[in-house]
Amino acid sequence: MRLLLVKRLGIMVLTMVCLSMGVFSLVNLDPNLRKLSISQTNMRASDAQIESWLVRNGYREPFLERYGAWLGVLPKQPGTDPDTGETVPRFRFCDEADTAVRAGVLQGDFGCSTKFKTPVGERLFPALRATGILMFWVMLVMVPSALLIGVLSGMREGSRTDRGLSTLAIGSTATPEYVSGVLFTVIFASWLGWLNGSAATATSKGITFENFALPVMTMAIYGMGYVARITRASMAEVMTSQYIRTARLKGLSFGKVVVRHALRNALIAPFTVIMLQFPWLLTGVVIVEIMFRYQGFGYLLVEAAGNNDIDLLLACSLVSVAVVLLTQLISDIGYVYLNPRMRVR
Amino acid sequence: MTFGTRKDGRPLPKHVLDSAAKLRASDGGSAVTRREFLAMASVFGASTTGAYGLLGLAAPAPALAREGVRGGTLLVSMRILDPKDPRTFDWGEMGNVARQFLEPLVRYTADYTFEPMLLESWEVSDDATEYVLNLRQGVTWNNGDPFTADDVIFNIERWCERDVEGNSMAARFATLIDGATGKLAEGIVERVDDLTVRLSLPTPDITLIANMTDYPALVVHPSFADNPNVAESSIGTGPFELVEWNVGSNASVMRRENGMWWGGEAYLDGIDFIDYGTDPSAEIAAFESEEIHVNYESVSEYIDILDSLGLIQSESVTAATGCVRTNVTNAPYDDPKVRRALQMAVDNATILALGHAGRGEVAENHHVAPLHPEYAELPRRERDIEGAKKLMQEAGAMDTELELISVDDAWLKNTSDAVAAQLREAGFDVKRTVLPGSTYWNDWNKYPYSSTSWAMRPLGVQVLALAYRTGEAWNETGFSDPEFDAKLAEALSTPDVGARTVIMKDIETILQDSGVIIQPYWRSLFCHMAPVVQDYRVHPVYEMHFEKTWLEQA
Repeated sequence: MRLLLVKRLGIMVLTMVCLSMGVFSLVNLDPNLRKLSISQTNMRASDAQIESWLVRNGYREPFLERYGAWLGVLPKQPGTDPDTGETVPRFRFCDEADTAVRAGVLQGDFGCSTKFKTPVGERLFPALRATGILMFWVMLVMVPSALLIGVLSGMREGSRTDRGLSTLAIGSTATPEYVSGVLFTVIFASWLGWLNGSAATATSKGITFENFALPVMTMAIYGMGYVARITRASMAEVMTSQYIRTARLKGLSFGKVVVRHALRNALIAPFTVIMLQFPWLLTGVVIVEIMFRYQGFGYLLVEAAGNNDIDLLLACSLVSVAVVLLTQLISDIGYVYLNPRMRVR
Repeated sequence: MTFGTRKDGRPLPKHVLDSAAKLRASDGGSAVTRREFLAMASVFGASTTGAYGLLGLAAPAPALAREGVRGGTLLVSMRILDPKDPRTFDWGEMGNVARQFLEPLVRYTADYTFEPMLLESWEVSDDATEYVLNLRQGVTWNNGDPFTADDVIFNIERWCERDVEGNSMAARFATLIDGATGKLAEGIVERVDDLTVRLSLPTPDITLIANMTDYPALVVHPSFADNPNVAESSIGTGPFELVEWNVGSNASVMRRENGMWWGGEAYLDGIDFIDYGTDPSAEIAAFESEEIHVNYESVSEYIDILDSLGLIQSESVTAATGCVRTNVTNAPYDDPKVRRALQMAVDNATILALGHAGRGEVAENHHVAPLHPEYAELPRRERDIEGAKKLMQEAGAMDTELELISVDDAWLKNTSDAVAAQLREAGFDVKRTVLPGSTYWNDWNKYPYSSTSWAMRPLGVQVLALAYRTGEAWNETGFSDPEFDAKLAEALSTPDVGARTVIMKDIETILQDSGVIIQPYWRSLFCHMAPVVQDYRVHPVYEMHFEKTWLEQA
């Protein structure tokens, strides 16, 4: 077990390094650097001004040196004031040093966000917290409902309940969030007026049912169908197994059979799928956050990519890798505990 | 009471009085319309009452139905961008948060006149080389310092620093800059006394006052240079004080508590600006959930939707426009026949109807609007498909693929699509490319054939100087005509509206005939507000003035 954990963590670190290097090479393509410089100087700046900003802020240094500086193995070079020739901090809005010092990821410094004009950590962690809250409520709503739907349809395969619930599940999975989100907003916010079409007050004033229900609903309903179908398939398979037949023949009531014997085995497969929903949520949350103006991780990712905010993008990719691999690890370990047939040496 | 004087008692220039006499005598048939006269008279220092008085009229009083009520926080939906140095501001949104606590010397009002803000009055010599700026008395910064001529000189020096990256004020104050040093030239600025500054320009420049009204020209405190970030160095003279500025999220100001604003007291307790991103549909949900009271701008199809929510619409006729422009350094657009053919194949009224839902006025492809004081009317030109085809065939470019690039935004894209459709009707081979904002702006002034949005300026000559003079930074068409440059220089030193209009006729004709732009219409700007908002309206240059705004308390 311990060996497995160590191996997995090692793979996670290796994946982080590879992915961040890949992202770093992409964000340093010339058109992206030009885009960054334009957003920092002036919409209609001349080529000479764009280039001088890039040179002055160290963006034309060698690739590996800059990657090393971001990582924290090499020191970060400060800028130079063109008038006086003294060293000055590169970006004033986050406390960069004015001497060459190691201040990278390994030292806990994620860098400066050029889009939001603040250290990356100051935006990243509150945004992760906000998305975490959203994910928590989505999971809370989605998982029990999906399992319930799956179990109800799977326990009597082919019945009318099954057909009806399956259609609902397939319908909800086939509708992407940008369609269902708009539909729900129109129905519940515009026509009925029960809920708020915008979650902006969720970040400023606090989460209430009115301002949070629509984003949670949009995401939960989309994921629900998929998990429900997996649960149904798993449930249906378990219901046809021998021991269930034996229990029924021995005279146990249908309810007791389902709850006490079938469920425990049927829920093994859905557990893996539910753990896989976490990384999916991290990307799926982008559309919902933009649509409902909820400034979490997805919103941060879109803004960083759109403005070529290098440090923020790299930090977001590290977070993504961490979330994906951690949930996979939990999923694998959990699966082993749930299913005695798989035991790791 | 005599009306023929400026606010300090000196008489107004003769050409202004002559225009007034002509207008009074005419009855609408004069060469100078009332609107042009008001703008010109106010540039030369007439007060609003005086200017109207010269026409034999009383100044219109604002229709205030009720007294303002103190209290409440206004919620505004607007993008929150970088709090940098005001002279490097490149988006109106940055100016709108900053202008709540910083002020300009002169303001361009929604009635197209110039209103003194930090100045009490100003005088311009008849040849537009001498400016005397009389500062307003009793103005204090919100850290207690008095506002004096030294502050104005400090700001003018900063505006004239040509080599600072992104300093767009340097182009506006070009006549004051020493070509060699790139800074304010010697001998131009004279501190007459604590409240008076004299500017002696080496060459005439009638646009100086108009340039002082633009959003990068907000006046900052002398300590600003230590930390040129307006969110951190927020000492200002305005009616509000900055509380916080979070890029991409929100910004808020509160009623000024340190010292009195010269104009009294604002009604609002504070203003919260909230960033709802670039998609206007987020504002619909926000208005419905009562999260905002007013927005920055309502665009295209959203205007009808917001109307249907029961919000109050505010409209402003402006000289903001879009130009579908060719770059003459790229073939086949270097051939004037090709450019003229493109112009002739397009009917501007149709483009207005399709590209902007008819919300605006038809324009004439020369970038000077009827609301500009010096607008000269040219003979109407009709769409002529046959003529266009003939010209293209003569140029041998009938089969050349013309790629029209535009940014992916609602009205510019629709306008470009409509232009492309009309060109295809004439048989030209047009390919449309739409780029997202993040890539488009990388090369915006290099594309051979693309469309650009242009904001308005108070005087017609200003955009011409920015966009069509040889070698200008924003000359995206590559247009270079020595005769045009010479006439423009002449216009820029002619303060008399009538005389300038005559020169403008030639300038407009040259630009129109060159065919470098299809400039189909002037955009009207809109915004919406909840019924509780009183005394606010949308501004032709997107400025948001809240010092008189109040919220109706239930």
